[in-house]
Amino acid sequence: MKGNGITLASPHRLLSPVLLLSLALTACSASPGGSPAASPDASQPAYPLVLTDDAGRQVTLSARPQRIVSLAPSNTEIACVLNACDEVVGVTDFDDYPAVVASRAKVVIGAQVDVEKVVAADPDLILAAGNELTPSSVIRQLAELGYPVLVLYPRDLHEVYADINLVGRALHAEEKAATVVAALTAREEIVAAAVAGAERPRTLYEVAVYQGLIYTAGADSFLASMISTAGGAPVVGDALSTAIQLEALVTADPQLILLGDAAYDASITPASVASRSGWSGLTAVRDGRIVLMLNDLLITRPGPRIIDGLEALARAIHPELFS
Amino acid sequence: MARAAVATRTYIAGPSLTRTGLVLGLGALLLVLALGAAVTLGSVGVGIGETAAILGHRLLGLPLAPTWTPAAETIIFELRLPRVLTSMLVGGGLAMAGTVFQALLRNPMADPYVIGTAAGASLGAILGILAPLLLPALAIGAGSAWLGLGAVQAAAFVGGLLTVLLVYRVARAGGRVPVVTLLLTGYAVSSVLAAGTALLMFSSGRALGAIFGWLMGSLAGASWPQLAFAAPLVLISFASLVVRWRVLNLLLLGDTQAMHMGIDVEREKRRLTLLATLATSAAVAISGTIGFVGLVVPHLLRLATGPDHRLLLPASVLYGAALLTLADLGARLAGGIPVGIVTALLGAPFFIWLLRRSGTMAAIP
Repeated sequence: MKGNGITLASPHRLLSPVLLLSLALTACSASPGGSPAASPDASQPAYPLVLTDDAGRQVTLSARPQRIVSLAPSNTEIACVLNACDEVVGVTDFDDYPAVVASRAKVVIGAQVDVEKVVAADPDLILAAGNELTPSSVIRQLAELGYPVLVLYPRDLHEVYADINLVGRALHAEEKAATVVAALTAREEIVAAAVAGAERPRTLYEVAVYQGLIYTAGADSFLASMISTAGGAPVVGDALSTAIQLEALVTADPQLILLGDAAYDASITPASVASRSGWSGLTAVRDGRIVLMLNDLLITRPGPRIIDGLEALARAIHPELFS
Repeated sequence: MARAAVATRTYIAGPSLTRTGLVLGLGALLLVLALGAAVTLGSVGVGIGETAAILGHRLLGLPLAPTWTPAAETIIFELRLPRVLTSMLVGGGLAMAGTVFQALLRNPMADPYVIGTAAGASLGAILGILAPLLLPALAIGAGSAWLGLGAVQAAAFVGGLLTVLLVYRVARAGGRVPVVTLLLTGYAVSSVLAAGTALLMFSSGRALGAIFGWLMGSLAGASWPQLAFAAPLVLISFASLVVRWRVLNLLLLGDTQAMHMGIDVEREKRRLTLLATLATSAAVAISGTIGFVGLVVPHLLRLATGPDHRLLLPASVLYGAALLTLADLGARLAGGIPVGIVTALLGAPFFIWLLRRSGTMAAIP
């Protein structure tokens, strides 16, 4: 990282008069966009940099971020895998990886973003999450205060890779990002090759069950795409609510049930699932194919450890292929 | 009959100047103290001297050399001050609207939301929250704002106003809008909209948290542009209502009595409803449905000062503003919980105590 920084920094110093001139020209003509500095071309100076985030917003960075606030654990992991862990100055109370981030200022407590604490952390880059995980009202408020807010919202594995590359560009760590993505892609391809010819069991990934409502992977969701890649045929719920009705579940008749909620609730066991009314006739229950997914966090957190999750899923779906 | 005549005379003449000055003076003092405390305290510590210097620098243009960090300036001037002013505006606006609706409908259970504002605004806001998730095309440019309002605030404002207009139209029969019909129509229309709200919440997935936060009411999203949208509406409404204190006093006697006193009852009811709804919708749009303030502050003041609206209207604005500002301070210090929880949790026991102490609730006929 340090080595990279030095080799990449030297052309900056040479080009900085040009950069300043181009900035001055842009400011004078006040033309929107079109600044040569905004070009992603690697031969150009990196900043100022205009990026488009996963919400379609234009985000401008004037210099390499030195103080990053991450509003989701997956974002923290992405920043850290790009060797920017030291620059992460604000995290959520749910952040646990890498261990060093646990000591950083908590700016999200109980899923509530404390905007005062975000401001006090004095960030020059905020990594938010999409799909209302970071409320859009908070994103707007922070953007209005003038902070660059990059919204990350991956819908499948390839968008996780794209997000790692996007943060890589934001941090001027494109090469590191490319290396990380190449390694993850290689591991994904190994999994994909292993399950390629195998039968695809109908798989219910249980996210939560309460009050008779069954929450699983939503149609076209990240989780559904993970199950497909890991060699299963996902039994999906409604795209928005991610719930599936019991009758639809019985009709879909999963051959395999993966208990993601067992990672957080020890009372959820294969026996407790079998005892639910209406579930005993499911093929998965009759065949005894109910698996505790104690590493649910890896499967549902779209960060650089996502392939660990994919491998865990593939092992659970196809134990015969990964002995 | 004689008693009614005496009552009428006091309603028209108004309360004594001493009492008026005392109640309003205390309210103003309380509000200033609440303002000071709420700007100074928060989840991030900024010293009192620093806070005062930042405010002096930004508001009065004092030529002070900044001894504070830019972060402290943002926290005080961009986060806390607009939030505190929003809490004052919303608290004052809701208490004022509650006072008007309680008199207009002659019903002690009336609050600013009673004839459909809350149900309409909630449905509007939830549609605003969910629309970008249902139609990804709308999510592009999700941060954009119009007149300082996001889609959610705009939809809430329009939803609240349209619902009350609909309720009023449906309740009208033969050129008259009987109070009971208006209340029941409001209840029925609210029920239909609440069913829609519940349906959307049930199928909202991840966005449930955002919806829930909105329904419980929160001032966390306060900003200068939002304040600039809502403040004129609430202030115009206040200015127009406060001069109608005599009409409100006479309406308390009943529609017939008020008509005999020379009031164009139907026209005045329409105007009062529109003005109170305008203030309520503007408040709800920028803060969600904050309960309790609009119901209880008018009662508290009636217990303390009697039912005269010349005093009641300005006093409800002052005390409603102070109450919500202090409640929001409590909510912020308690880790950002919704302010509606604090108003009800602390306000309701106090209200019960006052109710028991005074022994009766004679203010509303």
